[in-house]
Amino acid sequence: MGGHQVVPDANGHLKENNYLNCDKSIKSWLLTLDHKRIAILYLVSILSFFFVGGISALIMRSHLAMPQAQVISPDLYNALFTLHGVLMIFLFIVPGIPATMGNFLLPLMIGAKDVAFPRLNLFSYYIYVVGALIGFVAIINPVWLIDYLQGMAQGVWNPLDTGWTFYTPYSTSTGAGEGWGVILMTFAAFVLGFSSILTGLNFIVTIHKLRAPGMNWMRLPVLVWGLYATSVIQTLATPVVGITLILLIVERVLGIGIFDPAKGGDPVLYQHFFWFYSHPVVYIMVLPAFGVVGEIIPVMSRKPIFGYKAVVFASIGIAAVAFIVWAHHMFTSGMSAFSAAIFSALTFGVAVPTAVKVFNWVSTMYKGSIRFDSAMLYAMAFVFLFMIAGTTGVYLAVLGVDIYYHDTYFVVAHFHYTIQGGAVIGLIAALHFWFPKMFGKFYNEGWAKFSFWLLFFGFNLTFLPQFVLGMEGMPRRYYDYLPEFSSMHQLSTVGAFFNGLGYTLALLNLTTSAIWGKRLAPSNPYNSLGLEWQCPSPPPHDNFITPPVVTSGSYDYGYPIEERSKA
Amino acid sequence: MGSHSEIIEAGAPPEPHHMDSTTAYHAAKLGMWLFLATEILLFAALFAAFALYHWWYFDEFHHASEKLDWRLGALNTAVLLFSSYTAAVAVYAAQIGDNKRIVKNFGISVACGLIFLIIKAVEYSGKYAKGYFPGTDLWSDPNFAQSYKNYFGIYYCLTGLHALHVIIGMSVMIWVITKARKNRFSGRYYTPVELGALYWHLVDLIWIYLFPLLYLIG
Amino acid sequence: MFRFLPEQASTIAPEVDFLNNLITDLSVFFTVAIVGSMLYFAWKYRRRNGVDHPTPRIEGSHTLEIIWTAVPTAVCIFLGWAGIVVYNDMKHVPENAMTINVTGWKWAWEFQYQNGKKSGGQGAELVVPVNQPIKLVMTSRDVLHSFFIPAMRVKQDVVPGKYSYVSFTPVKTGLYDVYCTEYCGTRHSYMLAKVRVVSAEEFEAWISHDPTEGLAPSDLGKQLYTSLGCNACHSLADGVRLVGPSFYKSFGREGKLSDGSNYSADENYIRESILNPNIKLVDGYAANLMPSFDGRLDESQLNALIAFIKAQDGSAPPAPAVNISLGDEEEDLSKLSPKERGEKLYSAKACIGCHTLDGSNLVGPTFKGSYGSKRELQDGSSVTVDDAYITESILQPMTKVAKGFAPAMPPYEGQLSESEVKDLIEFIKTVK
Repeated sequence: MGGHQVVPDANGHLKENNYLNCDKSIKSWLLTLDHKRIAILYLVSILSFFFVGGISALIMRSHLAMPQAQVISPDLYNALFTLHGVLMIFLFIVPGIPATMGNFLLPLMIGAKDVAFPRLNLFSYYIYVVGALIGFVAIINPVWLIDYLQGMAQGVWNPLDTGWTFYTPYSTSTGAGEGWGVILMTFAAFVLGFSSILTGLNFIVTIHKLRAPGMNWMRLPVLVWGLYATSVIQTLATPVVGITLILLIVERVLGIGIFDPAKGGDPVLYQHFFWFYSHPVVYIMVLPAFGVVGEIIPVMSRKPIFGYKAVVFASIGIAAVAFIVWAHHMFTSGMSAFSAAIFSALTFGVAVPTAVKVFNWVSTMYKGSIRFDSAMLYAMAFVFLFMIAGTTGVYLAVLGVDIYYHDTYFVVAHFHYTIQGGAVIGLIAALHFWFPKMFGKFYNEGWAKFSFWLLFFGFNLTFLPQFVLGMEGMPRRYYDYLPEFSSMHQLSTVGAFFNGLGYTLALLNLTTSAIWGKRLAPSNPYNSLGLEWQCPSPPPHDNFITPPVVTSGSYDYGYPIEERSKA
Repeated sequence: MGSHSEIIEAGAPPEPHHMDSTTAYHAAKLGMWLFLATEILLFAALFAAFALYHWWYFDEFHHASEKLDWRLGALNTAVLLFSSYTAAVAVYAAQIGDNKRIVKNFGISVACGLIFLIIKAVEYSGKYAKGYFPGTDLWSDPNFAQSYKNYFGIYYCLTGLHALHVIIGMSVMIWVITKARKNRFSGRYYTPVELGALYWHLVDLIWIYLFPLLYLIG
Repeated sequence: MFRFLPEQASTIAPEVDFLNNLITDLSVFFTVAIVGSMLYFAWKYRRRNGVDHPTPRIEGSHTLEIIWTAVPTAVCIFLGWAGIVVYNDMKHVPENAMTINVTGWKWAWEFQYQNGKKSGGQGAELVVPVNQPIKLVMTSRDVLHSFFIPAMRVKQDVVPGKYSYVSFTPVKTGLYDVYCTEYCGTRHSYMLAKVRVVSAEEFEAWISHDPTEGLAPSDLGKQLYTSLGCNACHSLADGVRLVGPSFYKSFGREGKLSDGSNYSADENYIRESILNPNIKLVDGYAANLMPSFDGRLDESQLNALIAFIKAQDGSAPPAPAVNISLGDEEEDLSKLSPKERGEKLYSAKACIGCHTLDGSNLVGPTFKGSYGSKRELQDGSSVTVDDAYITESILQPMTKVAKGFAPAMPPYEGQLSESEVKDLIEFIKTVK
C-alpha cells in the first residue's frame, strides 16, 4: 500500500489516507501494526472496563447509602469491590495513559515512524485481551457458570472475593469460585503483567534508538520523560508481582507452603512481594499524568515549562525511590520498629520531588497568556486534586499517624485522589488536549466544560466525605457500618452519581465528536511547538511526510528574556 | 510499508519500514537485555524467599538439602556449561556466515538441554518415590512440614521455573536452527542467533546460582 | 479546622492527634497557597479577547528551585522524625503492663486474661482497668485480621502462626469500639468488639468473678460440652450415633482405628482426639469433620471434658440423646408462639453452630430466605424447600444433602418431637 498520496490541506488537515481511513477493513484494524491504531484499540478496551468498574462502584455506593442496608449480600459486596479493584487497576489504569496516549504520542513526539517493535506492540495488546478474558471468567466464577449454562445453577454463587490484593492466607483458603476464582484471577493478572512488561520494554527501546536527528535527551518533551520513567518501573517491578502471583497459584494447587504458616511460610512475605510491585505501580499510573499536565500547561500558557531539568529529574527520582518505599503499606503488619522508621523516611523521598513538580507547573503559568480550553481546566483540576492527594499522603507517610489511618476510608479517599484525581483526570485531560490530533476534529467545547464541572464537583463530593469517615475511624472494605457514619456515606453516594454522570457525558461528547463531528481540526490548533503537532491531523500511516529534524526545544515559547525591553 | 513477501536475498537483514537495519539490530539487542533483566527479577523474588527462609530455618534447610543428590546437580551444571559454550560457538559461526555450523552447535545445545531435563526428571521421580513431592501423603503430613519447613516447596518452584526456561530456550534455538538450515544468516544479519544464545546463557547463569544454593550450601 | 478524630481515650492519643492536626494545618496552608497562586495567575494572566499577549521566556530559577526543594525537605524531615517518635512511644510497652491474649478468627475476637478468664465471640468485651498499661498479645486462627481501637489510636495486624502485640494505656472509663481492619471475608464488617474501661476496683471484682468457680470438673465439662458445640456431633445416649461416636460409656472403650490398629480410649487418647481429631480416627468415622481444639482449651478445661466423658459410665440416669435444656431458667414453653419456641430450639439444639440467619453459609446452608426456595442436591436433582423437605432434612439429613455442603449434620430422628420439628419449621419460615 505504498501508493497512497498524503496531501494535507492548507491547515494541515489530512482528509484522505490518514491512519484512520487508509484501510477500512476490520482485519486491517485487528491486525494493525500502526502504533496509532493500536492506541485506539487500547483506548476502546480500557474505557469499556472503566465503565464496568464504574458501575460496580455505583452499586457499592448505593448499597452503602444506608447502614444495615440489605441491598446486596455481603458476598456480593465483597465480590464487587474485588471486581472494581481488579478492573480499575489491572485493566484500566495500569495500561491507562501509556498504552493509549503513550502509544499514540511517543513516536510522534520523538519524530519516529513507529515504536521500535510494532509486532510486539500488537502482541502486547492481544496478551492484554487474553488476560482480560481470563480475568472476567475468574470473577464470574467458571464452575457456577458451567452449571448455569446447563440450567442447574441455583444455590450459592460465590464469586471471587479476595480484594485486588489477594492477601494470603485468605486467598489460599477462600472457597470462592470453588478455588478456581483465585487461581484464574492471579493468572490473569500475571498475563496482564506480561503485556505491561512488553509495552514498557518497547517504549524504552523506542526512546533510546528512534529519536529523530536533533531530538537529544534534554529536548525530550516531559511526557516522553514521564513515559520513560514509567516504562522502567513497568519493566523492572512487574516480574516480581508476576512470580508472586504464580507462587500463590502453586501454593493453592500443590501446597508448597511459601506463604503458609503451618509449613514455616510467612504470609507477611507475600505482602512484601506484592507491594514491591504494587507501590511502584502507583507511579506507573501517575507519572504519565504528570507528563500530560507538563505538556498542557506550557502550551496553554505560552510559556516554557518552568525548570525543565528539575521536572525531568523529579520524574526519574520518583521512579527510582518508588522501588524502595513499598513497605509503607505494611506499617501495621508487625514489621520491626527500625524497618518501619526506615521505610517512613524513604517515603518522604517521594514527597519532595512531587512537590517540586507542582511548584514548577504553577510557576509556568506566571506571566503567561492563559487560555481556558477544557484540557487546561482538567490540568488545573489535576494540580488541585493532586495537592490534596499529596498532602493526605503525608499523613500516611508519618509513622505514628499512619497507624491510625491504615486500612480506613482515609486511605480509600487518598488513593482515589491520587489515582482518579491524578491518573484518570490526566488521561481525560490528555484525550481532550490531543483529540484534534487523534481524530482531526474538534469536540463540543460547551459539553466538555459542562461535564468537566459535573465530574469535578461529583468527585470531590464523593471523596472529601471519605476523608472525614477515615478520620472518624471507619474501616475500609466494610459491607455495613455503624449508624454514626451515615451522613458522610450518603454525601459520598450522591457525589458518586454526579461523578459517574460527568465521566459519561465527557466520554460521550468525545465519542460522538470523533464519529460524527463536523468541525475539522488543523494540524496545530494551539500553535504548539511540540513535534507531534507538526505532522498532519490525523497523522498519515508513517506519521511525518518528511522525516523531521529537530533544531530547538519543545517549549521555546515567548520572547527571550533579554529582549524584554523591546516588548 | 514495503511488503515482506518479496524474496529476501539470502543473508540480507530484513528492512522494517520504520528504521534502518543497523538501528534494528541495536534495538533488538537492547530489547533483549531488558527482557533478560525482567527474567532475573522474576527469579529474584524466589531467591529472596529462599534467602529469608534459609536464614530463619538454617537447620531444617541444611537437613533437607542433604536429601538432594549433589552429583546429579553437578552433572547438570556441567551439561549446561557445555551447552552454553556451543551456543557461543554458534554466534561466532553466524558472524562469519557459516549456517551449517550454527545448526550443528545449536543442535548440540538443544541436545544438552534435553539431557538436562532428563536428569531433572530422574531427580524428581527419585523424590516422588521417597514421597518428597507435592500430592504424596508425606507431603501433607504436618511432621514433614515441621522437619523441613518449606525447603522442598521452594526447591520445586525454583527448579520448575528454571526447567520451564530451559524448554523455552530450547524452542527458541530450534526455531533459529530451522532458519539457519535455509541459510538465512550472514555476517550482515545474525540477530536471532545472538539473541537466542543470550537467552540460553541466562538460563545457564541462573542454574549456576541455583546449584550451589540448593545442593551445596543448603 | 478539619478536626474529626474521635474521643481521646489513651495516653498516646494526644500525641497522635497533635501530629495529625499539625499535618492538617500545614496541608491546608500549602494547598491554599499553591492552588491560590495558581488561580491568581490564571486570572491575572488570562488571554483576553482570544488573542495571545507576548509572554517572556522564563525557563526557570535556581534560587526558587532550591527554596522549594529545601522547604518541603525540611518539613518532611521534621514530620518524619516526629512520626517515628510517636510510633516508638506507641510501641513501647511499660514494664507493669498487664498482658492479655487475643485470638481472632472468622469472625470474632476472644480475650484471655492471665488468670484464665476468657471472654469471646461476636461483640465480646475486652474489660480493662483505667490507667493501667495493657499489652495485647495477638494471633489468628485462620486468616489475617487487624485489631483497631480508634479511641486508643492503636492498630495491629493479627497474623496466623505468629504473635503480634499492641500496647495502650486507657485514661478514661467508658465503652469503645473495636474494628477488624484487615479484610477477612463475608462477615468482616461484623467482626466487632468493645473495650470496656472500668475503675480498678470494678476490674478486680470482674476478673475475680469466675462463673465456673466451685464447679466439679465434670460439671464444668458438661458446660463445655454444650458451649463448645460437642453436642452437635457426640450424643450421650447408648447407641445413638451422630457424626462422631457417642460419649456413652466411651471411656475405656476399645476397638479398631481406621488404619487397622487398636485403640483404648484412655485419658491420653481422648486428649489427643480433642486436640488432633484426625490422627486416630475410630474405624467407620469420616476424617476432617471435627475441628482441632488445639490452642482453644486450657489444661483445666481439657481435664474437665475428660472428667465429663468419664462420668458417662451409665451410672447416671439415662441421658436424652441430645442433652440440652432450653435455657437455665425453666420457662413455660407452651405460652410461647411456635416461632418463638423454634427460635429457642435453634440455639438450644445447636443448629446455630452451622446454619446462620444472615445469608452467609457456614457448615450448612443459611436459613435466611431458605423456605420456599429451590435447592440443588448433591445428586444433581433439585427440590423446593418446603415442610416435608425440612422435616426430612432434620430427621434424616443424609438422604438429601444440598450441593456444595459436606454431609456433616447429625440425624435428629428420635431426638425431636413432631411438634418441635414443626416449631423449627415455623421459625425457619420467618427468617427472610
